[in-house]
Amino acid sequence: MTAPVEIERPEAAEVPVADVPWVTIVWNDPVNLMSYVTYVFQAYFAYPKTKAEKLMLDVHEKGKAVVSSGTREEMERDVEAMHSYGLWATLQKAGDRV
Amino acid sequence: MGHAAEGGGPSLSTAFRRARGGVVAASFHVVEVELLRSLVGQLLELVRDEPADPSAGDGWAAELGLADEAPSRPTDPVLLRLFPDGYREDAEAASDFRRFTERGLRDRKAATAATVLASLATADGAGLPAKSREKIRIELDAAESEAWLRTLTDLRLALGTRLGVTEGDEDDWLALDENDPRRHVHDVYDWLGWVQETLVRTLSSALD
Repeated sequence: MTAPVEIERPEAAEVPVADVPWVTIVWNDPVNLMSYVTYVFQAYFAYPKTKAEKLMLDVHEKGKAVVSSGTREEMERDVEAMHSYGLWATLQKAGDRV
Repeated sequence: MGHAAEGGGPSLSTAFRRARGGVVAASFHVVEVELLRSLVGQLLELVRDEPADPSAGDGWAAELGLADEAPSRPTDPVLLRLFPDGYREDAEAASDFRRFTERGLRDRKAATAATVLASLATADGAGLPAKSREKIRIELDAAESEAWLRTLTDLRLALGTRLGVTEGDEDDWLALDENDPRRHVHDVYDWLGWVQETLVRTLSSALD
């Protein structure tokens, strides 16, 4: 019998970057009104009021919340939009330590 | 997060409410309109302020968005709050993000502030002398309301950052001496929050 040919296993780095999900995080700040933050989540993400309020409370009580996920380009768009609303937002790879 | 002070302090204005014709409306004292105009005018200057160096010769390139020099990270805490980093732990990505977004954000914030100024200029009775006690009615359509929400936010971010506002510090500001200029600025900050709260509540009722 012949020995099996060694096949190189693909490195993790070869996974296309676009497949790695990214997240948009909104951080708590002492200025923005709770009602306004809820409004932004409803108006921009079209989230129902209950979801928008839950996210707002997470930001307020836990200091931050993941508000959306997708490709890096999509998250850069969301972060830019949050900045235009005056919310403090950043993006990062999903699963990275926050 | 912050919250609007109950009653909004020494406010002469009325809360925003839905009015006929799909607009929202509120009344402001002429002095309050002047104050808003002054604050929004200063905000406009702040966000428009760009390192215009006529000797550089590439002004036209910057005008057309062709200059590829990255805007540097603001050292002024107010500008850094208005145009924050898009990445927390990756300075290079944050710098790239700033290069691709800051100019557009500045332009949009300036256009938004200009919309607010225009709605104040065309407000009923805006030409009255300052000594007039008359109330000025401000009516906003959907686009103007959105501009007001964003500009009130930018104004509060600017004032709050300058003052060093922190969460739950309301009593500290009330404890300041009445002659302390910071107390006056904080009163304005509170009043802007009250105006915004009545506007956002009125607009939110349409989203539910």
